Amino acid sequence: MASEEKRHGALEISESINQQIAKKIDYLQQLMAALKDHDDRQIYRLLDNQRYAAEIEHREQQGNDSSVMNLVDNLADQLSSYLSSKLIKYLGKAYPFFYYEEYQTGHYRIYFGNWWDRRQFGELDVLNIRFVFDQKEYKKLQDSFELASHGKRYNSKRIEDLSSANDHLQALIDSTEERSQKRAQLQSELKDASNRGGLFESAKNRETREDIKDQISQLEDQDEEARNAAVNIRKNNQAVLELSKENTILSYEQKSITDVFGSFEDFALANRNLYANYLKSLEKGNSDNQHAKNDDEKQVSDHD
Amino acid sequence: MTEEKVTTNTSSKVLALSNSIKEGLTVGEKYVALLNQLASTEQSSDLLDAMKQLDAIDLTNAFVKFPQHYETADYYLLFMYRLLQLNQVEGVSLHENEDHSLALQLANFGDKITFKFELDDKQGGAFFTEQENHEPLFYLNLEKTALRFSNRALVNFFIVREIDHYSDLDLAAAIKPLISFAHILKDQLKFQIDLGILETANDFLARLSQPELDLQVIDKLFVETADSDYRLLNLPHNNGASLQLDREVHIELGFDPDDYSRQWAFRVVDNDEEVSFFDVLLHYKMIRDWYLDNREALAVRSDPLIFAE
Repeated sequence: MASEEKRHGALEISESINQQIAKKIDYLQQLMAALKDHDDRQIYRLLDNQRYAAEIEHREQQGNDSSVMNLVDNLADQLSSYLSSKLIKYLGKAYPFFYYEEYQTGHYRIYFGNWWDRRQFGELDVLNIRFVFDQKEYKKLQDSFELASHGKRYNSKRIEDLSSANDHLQALIDSTEERSQKRAQLQSELKDASNRGGLFESAKNRETREDIKDQISQLEDQDEEARNAAVNIRKNNQAVLELSKENTILSYEQKSITDVFGSFEDFALANRNLYANYLKSLEKGNSDNQHAKNDDEKQVSDHD
Repeated sequence: MTEEKVTTNTSSKVLALSNSIKEGLTVGEKYVALLNQLASTEQSSDLLDAMKQLDAIDLTNAFVKFPQHYETADYYLLFMYRLLQLNQVEGVSLHENEDHSLALQLANFGDKITFKFELDDKQGGAFFTEQENHEPLFYLNLEKTALRFSNRALVNFFIVREIDHYSDLDLAAAIKPLISFAHILKDQLKFQIDLGILETANDFLARLSQPELDLQVIDKLFVETADSDYRLLNLPHNNGASLQLDREVHIELGFDPDDYSRQWAFRVVDNDEEVSFFDVLLHYKMIRDWYLDNREALAVRSDPLIFAE
């Protein structure tokens, strides 16, 4: 091959350069025109032709031309910011429960809900039209849907455990008086047993004494626990409130998803189809634009 | 002592006595006229005029004794009752007890609960007071032409106590004449009125008496909404929370984000400005239970000048 190239000579090389440059210019001009018209669908096509061909036109064999596409690599943030306005408007209707915060140019945090205690739920990847959910938070939501189908809540088990721990602690506090009476009784029994002690103490008596001491020590442990019980009950209540808050957040989120999508599975499906659905919606919105002329395109866009 | 002197002396004494009696009778005549005015005038202003004079009149006279039939507190009640009558406000009735003292009843309570005015000897005026626990629902001062409801007493009486005995609708109907009374005083007699948590204007802020609010208190309401169709939302500037109660009604608990003091307050917003914070406590059990469970933190302020909290 190398020897063949050499034979083409300088003329052909400059021809090739010209072609390359013309291609780049053509690409940039297309992009510029699309930006001027705010033709976001065309911009997305130019930014990732391969994906566009596959998901919108259902042509699988269309590769990306890296020689032109990386021309705008360093514009990613600005393009993202530019494209976000229409995308977020669309998402506002399709996912009314998501809220976005542009924390730096072209970068968006997703918040789930506008309720009292909402969570940050990941980021919006505008250039690729996809949600990058925080996996931990997403998993929680998925699990809570699963649990809900069995009539359970995400933190119910832990809340139950804490509540029964509190019942136990409260019982200890309530039985303080009872224990002190029992202890007085045991101490007097111990005194009697000790009086029967001495050098020739019977094995049985020694056993009895040890047994009483054990019982007293047990009571002392319980007293100790009871002394800290009030503080621990408060701590547990605090933890229950936090866990209940998380349950509440998850139940709000579940309701939101069910209201809009019907089920978690349909929500996940919509997320997978977001790219196609969004670009399809632009096509409808742009029906009087240059892209409406192609009937094939419309057919391809028909989904489901 | 000559006979003549005695006669002169006696005559002057008699004259003095007759003068004193005359004074007493003049007061008596005035008293009678005022009673007639209070009982029969068709004019709100004359009614107030009679009431103010009756409040001030001094019936003590060494020589003329008036039967102590009614007392000032009774005249207050009569004044209120007649003013409501003149304005065709229904739902109140006036009763005379065996000791001749008057008592007011609100139709929705039947005769189980009675109300009287209790005079305030220190600052003048009188408290309209429920007679079992002596909750002073409002304070009325005729000289200062002012009426002010006590938020604390309203909550104690209606929201804590009577909610167990009457439906929310009955309670709402029962308090209506009292609110009408305040409005009549304002509209016809230029009184300054403070409806407190009965105020229905959307911009009314029911300020909390505590200077700060632990956000966990709001967390607790948030948790309560988990099993309901309610959603507790963030206010736009993260300056509090908002709860949609009905299609047209929402309640906020928040502070002015521009205000350095971060004074927390409840606010009830509805299209027709017909719903008060009191109504919300009355009609929405979830809010009521939460408010009462956290009353120390959430208590709404009453004007400290007249109602010591």
